Amino acid sequence: MASLVSSAGPGTHLIPKGLFRKSTHLIGRVVVALGLIAAITLICFRVIPVNATTVGFFYLVAILSIATASGLVESTIASVVAMLCFNYFFLPPIGTFTIADPQNWVALSAFLATSLAASQLSARAKRRTKEAIDRQNEMERLYSLSRALLLADTTRPIARQIVQQIAQTFEFSTVALYDRTTGEMYRTEVDDMSDIEAKLRDAAVRSSVYRDEESGLVVTAIRLGGEPIGSLAMKGAPLSDPALQSLLNLVAIGLERTLSQEAVNRAEVARRSEELKSTLLDAIAHEFKTPLTSIKAVTTDLLSAPSAELQPHQRELISIADEGADRLSKLVTEAIQLARIEGGKFQLSRAPHFPRSLVSAALRQMNSLTDGRKISASLQDDLPQVSADAELIQMVIAHLIDNALKYSPSGSPIEIGACVREQDVIICVVDQGKGIAEDEQSRIFDKFYRGSKEQALKGTGMGLAIAREIIRAHGEDIWVKSKPGKGSEFCFSLPIAPRSGGE
Amino acid sequence: MNTGRILVIDDDPQIRRAMRTSLTARGYEVGDARTGEEGLDKLRSETYDLVLLDMNMPGIGGIETCRMIRSSSEIAIIMLTVSNTEKDKVDALDAGADDYVTKPFSMPELLARIRATLRRLPQAPDYAHLKRLTRQGVEIDLSSRQVTVRGHTSRLTAKEFDLLSYLLARPNKTISHRELLQAIWGPDYGDELEYLRVFVNRLRKKIEPDPSEPRFLVTDTWAGYRFRLPQ
Repeated sequence: MASLVSSAGPGTHLIPKGLFRKSTHLIGRVVVALGLIAAITLICFRVIPVNATTVGFFYLVAILSIATASGLVESTIASVVAMLCFNYFFLPPIGTFTIADPQNWVALSAFLATSLAASQLSARAKRRTKEAIDRQNEMERLYSLSRALLLADTTRPIARQIVQQIAQTFEFSTVALYDRTTGEMYRTEVDDMSDIEAKLRDAAVRSSVYRDEESGLVVTAIRLGGEPIGSLAMKGAPLSDPALQSLLNLVAIGLERTLSQEAVNRAEVARRSEELKSTLLDAIAHEFKTPLTSIKAVTTDLLSAPSAELQPHQRELISIADEGADRLSKLVTEAIQLARIEGGKFQLSRAPHFPRSLVSAALRQMNSLTDGRKISASLQDDLPQVSADAELIQMVIAHLIDNALKYSPSGSPIEIGACVREQDVIICVVDQGKGIAEDEQSRIFDKFYRGSKEQALKGTGMGLAIAREIIRAHGEDIWVKSKPGKGSEFCFSLPIAPRSGGE
Repeated sequence: MNTGRILVIDDDPQIRRAMRTSLTARGYEVGDARTGEEGLDKLRSETYDLVLLDMNMPGIGGIETCRMIRSSSEIAIIMLTVSNTEKDKVDALDAGADDYVTKPFSMPELLARIRATLRRLPQAPDYAHLKRLTRQGVEIDLSSRQVTVRGHTSRLTAKEFDLLSYLLARPNKTISHRELLQAIWGPDYGDELEYLRVFVNRLRKKIEPDPSEPRFLVTDTWAGYRFRLPQ
């Protein structure tokens, strides 16, 4: 047998004992073989006297039986002893090892040659049969393993099931599996695993095979499409090379199947929860905005009346209701924006846009909300296009402008500028407000955070958090530069869009 | 004082109440409906000039209602919706709406939109010679607002008609987005490129033998649109 693991001993410390047991077995079988030769000699010499040829045949039959039943060593020893007995007891002169007749020399040599050759053939046939049976066993085990892996319970960790199935099917004393994607180790038992763990990691990284002939340990990489995806260690039972390869393939396919299954499941769960979230948010938006719509329709209609038709106090009261409705509407809008954007699980629809058009679109959106404040956008025409989700970036700019409007004195100007820095375009919104203390600058983008002295100001506390989430989703950065008393400068970067081909 | 008949289709009774009160006070005649189905019924039995259509309604919903109105009528449609995403705007315009207002809106803004939507191009005298145009199997009859392409006749909505006749009156000349928006919708407009994109697409479907490869209504990238009139 092309044994992969030559010593089948179950453990290092057991080897002398195993060898001892093995040699005792051999000695026992030799004794039995010699006993058989002795019995034939005794019967033919003393009990039923027969001629030398018949005795020779009896010996040959016995040696063939020994070769079939035991092995080459036993049958070879038996052949030599039978030859000696044949010579001593049956070939004249009887009772001596000398041979008088040269014909008997020929007979004796023929006997020895025949018995040795027969032993050899018989032992080889036996070995082939054993090999075939072993292969068949391995095939059956591989088959039952593949069936078990196909039927594996997908709700439990597949790697653990693979380990258990291998140990059970192939009767290994120890099986350990290292999953490189998760970095986790699965094993049957905990005896002296520290050594194996290191070997498992090593095998998975280097895609190598490690064999310890003495202890019968095999550690080998599990490859899929040439890439190592993990490693497997086994100890306690021999396994042929082809069977080991098939086993590794099965494990690789099993692991890969689960990985793809898990990825599909995760994506499906994420998609469903996104869908549910989106539906819920739409419903909430609708429920809040519908009553707000009728309130706004009423207040704005009344406020649009010529001034003569309304008493000043009536106009003031309606304005209060109108502003309240605006504030509530903004709160709902921003809470929903934030809920949608948070967690970064949303689709960006990126396209090349000119920074100038993004800024002017944002300004247009805010048109009615700037209270007539002076906002100057000084963006050069030759700025390159940026790769961004226009709608979301307009939202960011709108939030920054809104923030600047809220936190700077009503007469002061607000400026929007942009410049190129390496692979990015930086867009900045600059105000001349009170500025932000240094210790507050890092917290200003947090949800619901407001400057310590700003509690009285209107605002939802969500605008800058929304802006940061959107910029982060673009893989970019947003920051503030500010000094108390000297205004603030909010900037964010956007990647320059790759130039389209053909230019 | 304004004149015109407006149908308000919205499932919220308070919104219908506010609309009816405000619009009636401005001189419009107002009818209302609670669902798309009811609105379609009213449109079959009564005459209106404009529909204010809520996008998010139980039953067949606003978009489908819009499509169904459009399949048989050229009436002006303004969609009202809670969401102001680009996609929803384009969906509404694609379904055949002429304009789009986000809830909550201010009444003066809505009134301005209604006026812009009902507003018609002054019929300039030089349009007269354009009344009928036949080129390459395409027949455009401005007097009856009908277009026939390969034997298939379709009617133009008011805004489609205005856009087409504006471009047709200035053949082979690139008209900027802003000029088109202000001419067709009014001086308050100018940056709503998505309106033009959708309306030009709608027109192409009606007048171009192959809308994906326009022969007449061509885009001049970044600049505007041009009506190519083969001599």
